[in-house]
Amino acid sequence: MSDSTTPEPDASPPPGPPEPVSLRVATGPLAGPVLNRVASMVLARAQCPLDRFDDALILCDAISAHAPAHVRDSHLVYTLTAEERAIELRVAELRTGGAAGLMDDALLPDVGNVIERYSDSRRVEPASDGGGEELILTIDFA
Amino acid sequence: MTPDMELALPARAENIALIRHAFGALGETLAVDEELLSDVRLAVTEACSNVVVHAYADETPGPLEVLATLDDGTLTVVVRDEGPGIAPHPDSPGLGLGLPLIASLAESVQLGRDEQERTEVCMTFSLSDDRVDRASSTSSTRGVTSRGGQDDQVDPAPRT
Repeated sequence: MSDSTTPEPDASPPPGPPEPVSLRVATGPLAGPVLNRVASMVLARAQCPLDRFDDALILCDAISAHAPAHVRDSHLVYTLTAEERAIELRVAELRTGGAAGLMDDALLPDVGNVIERYSDSRRVEPASDGGGEELILTIDFA
Repeated sequence: MTPDMELALPARAENIALIRHAFGALGETLAVDEELLSDVRLAVTEACSNVVVHAYADETPGPLEVLATLDDGTLTVVVRDEGPGIAPHPDSPGLGLGLPLIASLAESVQLGRDEQERTEVCMTFSLSDDRVDRASSTSSTRGVTSRGGQDDQVDPAPRT
């Protein structure tokens, strides 16, 4: 059956500032696949080159695997924002110290720290609601 | 109950593909029957298309939220917007089949508003193996109802 009533995508990019995509997903089997699909769409729309596309998905895999141990409750919260030649991935609702814990857990023998290796910048901010913190990563591309 | 998956994004046509992909990941992870997954994705697509086309007509696209909750073999999907609500659209570019199509694909459909007065379309799908044979179901068991438990039928034609 065709999606005959689906509107055609806009040909031109939306005007104004980047519009983030927010994803909240339960820890467990859904977390990794859903983040990867959503991130893939955001990356593709931003015309991310393939090498950085792969890097970003490895990064998402690492976060999905390790973040559940550092969240405030049973959900992972992400915000993806496509910027000019970059993607920002915000991992929210981490408990206090969770960002550092997530980074530490991403250290693999003989590989190094996956998050440091595949992201171009990293910073930690306190959560806007005053509880816990957020890890903000950027992936740049030419 | 806290949703298992929740997406919040601008109500733009290109974002519908993103939502479909997210449900694809959900379905594959849960090993949902391929035919049922197609039904879920089509119903969600129709509901989201309604938001894109009608909820913020002539305005900057507002928020579109999609929530999916799994509970005891039932998938509940809520599509939510901050538009004026579901009302007749005689100038609609669609065929007027959106809500009837959703009703035919889902086990149940409810239209309503949440506590913050946001418009909601709530759909349920049975993921269990013994789900009702769709071919033998009558339309009377698959109507579109308003929220609040009443059985009053809502004319599903206006949106789309």
